[in-house]
Amino acid sequence: MKLRKNILIISSFIVYGLWFMPGSAQAAERFFEIKAKKFSYTPNIINVNRGDTVKIRLLSEDVHHGFFVDGYGIKTSAHPGMEGSLKFIADKAGRYTFRCSVTCGEFHPYMVGYLVVGPNSRFWLYAAIVLVIGIGSLITLNRARKTNG
Amino acid sequence: MKKINETIAVILMLLATVGTIIGVFVIEGARRKKFYTVELIARSPLNGNWYPKEFKVPLGKEAKIYIRNVETVSHGFSLPEFNVSAREIKAGEVEVVKFTPDKRGKFPFFCTVWCSNEHLHMSGEVIVE
Amino acid sequence: MADKLFGLIDLNWRFELTKFKLIRNLFKSRWFPLLAIIFNLFIFVIILISGLIGGFSAGNYNFGIMIVWILWWVMLMFILVPIFSRAWCLMCPFPVFSDWLQRGALFVVTGLKLKGLGLKWPKALKNMWVMNILFLVTTFFSGFFTVRPLATFILLGGIILLAFLIGLVFEKRSFCLYVCPVSGFQGLYSQFAMAEVRRKDPEICKNHKVKTCYVGNECGYGCPWMLTPFNFTKNTYCGMCLECFKSCPHDNMAFNLRPPGVDLLVDEKRGLDEAWKAFIMLGIAMVFFLTMQGPWGFLKDWVRGTSLKGYLTFISLHTAFSLLIVPAIFLVFSYLSKSFSGAKEVSLKKIFTNFSYTLVPLGLGVWIAFSVGIVLPNGSYILHIISDPFAWGWNLFGTRSVPWTPVFTGALGHLQGAVLIVFYLFSLAYGARLSRQTYPTEEQAKRGWIPILIFLTLATLAFLWLYIG
Repeated sequence: MKLRKNILIISSFIVYGLWFMPGSAQAAERFFEIKAKKFSYTPNIINVNRGDTVKIRLLSEDVHHGFFVDGYGIKTSAHPGMEGSLKFIADKAGRYTFRCSVTCGEFHPYMVGYLVVGPNSRFWLYAAIVLVIGIGSLITLNRARKTNG
Repeated sequence: MKKINETIAVILMLLATVGTIIGVFVIEGARRKKFYTVELIARSPLNGNWYPKEFKVPLGKEAKIYIRNVETVSHGFSLPEFNVSAREIKAGEVEVVKFTPDKRGKFPFFCTVWCSNEHLHMSGEVIVE
Repeated sequence: MADKLFGLIDLNWRFELTKFKLIRNLFKSRWFPLLAIIFNLFIFVIILISGLIGGFSAGNYNFGIMIVWILWWVMLMFILVPIFSRAWCLMCPFPVFSDWLQRGALFVVTGLKLKGLGLKWPKALKNMWVMNILFLVTTFFSGFFTVRPLATFILLGGIILLAFLIGLVFEKRSFCLYVCPVSGFQGLYSQFAMAEVRRKDPEICKNHKVKTCYVGNECGYGCPWMLTPFNFTKNTYCGMCLECFKSCPHDNMAFNLRPPGVDLLVDEKRGLDEAWKAFIMLGIAMVFFLTMQGPWGFLKDWVRGTSLKGYLTFISLHTAFSLLIVPAIFLVFSYLSKSFSGAKEVSLKKIFTNFSYTLVPLGLGVWIAFSVGIVLPNGSYILHIISDPFAWGWNLFGTRSVPWTPVFTGALGHLQGAVLIVFYLFSLAYGARLSRQTYPTEEQAKRGWIPILIFLTLATLAFLWLYIG
C-alpha cells in the first residue's frame, strides 16, 4: 500500500512538472508561407514555441483551399492568386492538426498538417503516465505475489 | 393473429425497401415540377463541363435554373447578360437562380470559381426564344 | 478470494437486465430485433440511394458516406461493441433477405426445416481467416469508399448481395459467422464488451433433454449462429439475435451486464485466426491514421490511386505490415517471454496465441482514439446531410445550411491520450492474468509477463506518439 502511495506521489510530481513545463525564454515572431495543393500543405508540419506569435500566409496552387487550426479555432482560406493570412499567439502547447476548411476534392477531409507548439508537454504528460503505470504495475504485481506466497 | 403479424411484417418490409425508393423519387419528381425549369449539372471541363452546355428558356417568363454541383470542388455560375450570378456552390450542393429574359438570342454563362486548370473553358450558352 | 479487476470489480459480478419484466418481454417478443432490422433497412436503402446519386462527388456532403463512416462507425466503436457486444449484429439488416428466404417468413416461426440449399460451411474455413482477408482487402479501397459515394454504394450493395447469395447456398447465418468483413472485429472486440447473453442455471439446461435453443421450436428458431446457447461461454460468435430467449421454455436465458473484458480469460476456441484479427486491426489502425490523419500528401496520393505504382505500393506495404510485420514483432516478444519464463514445456504457439488477446483492449482503445479524431472535426456534416440526404436541396429538419463546425478540437489530444491509457490499463490487467493461465507456475508467469508488458507499453507509446506526439 505504501509503495502504491509513493508511486502516486512521484507520478503526480512528474505530471504537474510536465503540465507547467515552461516555454522558451523569449517569445519570437514566426512567419510561415504555406502552399496548399490537393491534398496536402507544404510545409506540412510547422514547429513553434509556446508564446510565439505565428503569422501564416496561405497560398493555393490549384483550387479554393482553407486552413483551420484545431484547438485555436481560427481559420482562413485562399483562392489561386488570392492569398489568405492568419496571425495568432501560440499559447496552447501540444500538437494541433490544421485542416482544410473548404471542400476541395474527394480527399478534402483528410487534407491536414500539424502545428507543433513546443515543448509538446501534452504528449510527454501522457507518455509519462503510461510509463509510470507500466513500471508501477510490474512492481505492485511482484510485491503482491511475494506476500501471497 | 400470427398471420396478421406476418402480414404487417411483410408490409413494413416492403415499405422500408420498395416504398422508400418509390417515395423518394415521387416526392422529388413532384417538387421539381413545381419549382424548376432547367436542371444544370456543374462539372469542370475535363469531367464533362456544364450539362447541358446549351439550353432554351422562353422569352418574358421567369426562368428557374437548378444548378447541381456533383463534383468534388466548388463551382460558380454567372450569366452576365441578365446580371445573374450565384454564390460559390460547394461540392455536392445545389443552388437555384432565377431571372426573366427580356431579349432573344444566345448568351454565354460561366463558372466563377477557379475549379481546375481548365476553369476558363467552363462555359455554356442560354438560348432565349 | 474473488479475483478483482484493478482490485475493485469482482470478475464474476453480473447484473441480469432481463430480470426486469419489461426487458424480458421485449427480448421474448418476435417483434424485437425484427422492427430494429426493418428500421435499419430503411436507413440503408436511403444510404444506397444517396450513394448511387452522389456518384463521384465529394463524400463529405453525402448522406451515405457520412452515416456509414462517421455515425455508424463511431457508434460501433464507442458504444455498440465496447458496451453491448454484437448489438449491431442484432439489428443488422444485411442478412434479412436470406433469413426471409430460408424461413419462408419474417415474423412467424414456420418450422424446423429451413429452405435454401442449406449446405454445411466447409470445415477448413470454420474460422476467422476469410473474414480477416476480406476485411483487409476491403481496407485496400479505403481511399475510395470513405470519400466516393458510389464506392460506398458498391461496397454495401456487394455485402448485401453476398449475404443473400451465401444464405441461399449455406445453412443459417454462415455468412455472418464466417464471411462478413464487419463481423470479425466485432466478434474479437466483443470479448471486451460489458454485456453478454448467457444461460442462467446450468442445472435446468442439463435436465432439459431437447435442446430447443439449438434445434428450435414453435416459438423460436434454433440458434442461427450455430452456437449452443445452453453452454457457450464467450461473446465472440454470439450474434445476439435473441432467438434463444424465445425458444427456451424455461426462461433460462439472461442478458447480463458484466465487468469489461472477462471473455479474454475464457479459453474457448482460441486460435491463430483470432490472433491475426487482433494484429490486422492494429495494423489497419496505424495505416488509416497515417493516410487519413497524417500530413503526408504522397501517402494520400498512393491511397487514392493517382498512379498504379503508388497504389500497389500502398497495398503491398499495408498487407505486409498488418499480416507479417506486426505479428513478427509480437512473435519476437512471445519468444522473449518464453525464454524469460524458463518454461520449456509451454509451446511458443500457445504463448503467442494466448497473449495476443492482450491486444484486444488496447486495439479497441486505439480505434476509439482514432475515431474521436474523425468525429470531433467532422461530426457536424451529419446535421447537413440528414436535412438534405440526396443533395437535391431538401431541408427536412431545417439544418441544411449548418456549416462545417469542428467541435472540442482543443480537447482532442487529451481525449485520445486518456482513452489510450484507460485501455492500456485493461490490457495490463488481463495480460497479467493471461500469463498465469499460460504458464504453469506463478514464478514463470511473473517472468514471462515482463516482455509482453514491454511490448504493450511500447505499442501504447507508439500510438500515443502517432496521435499526439
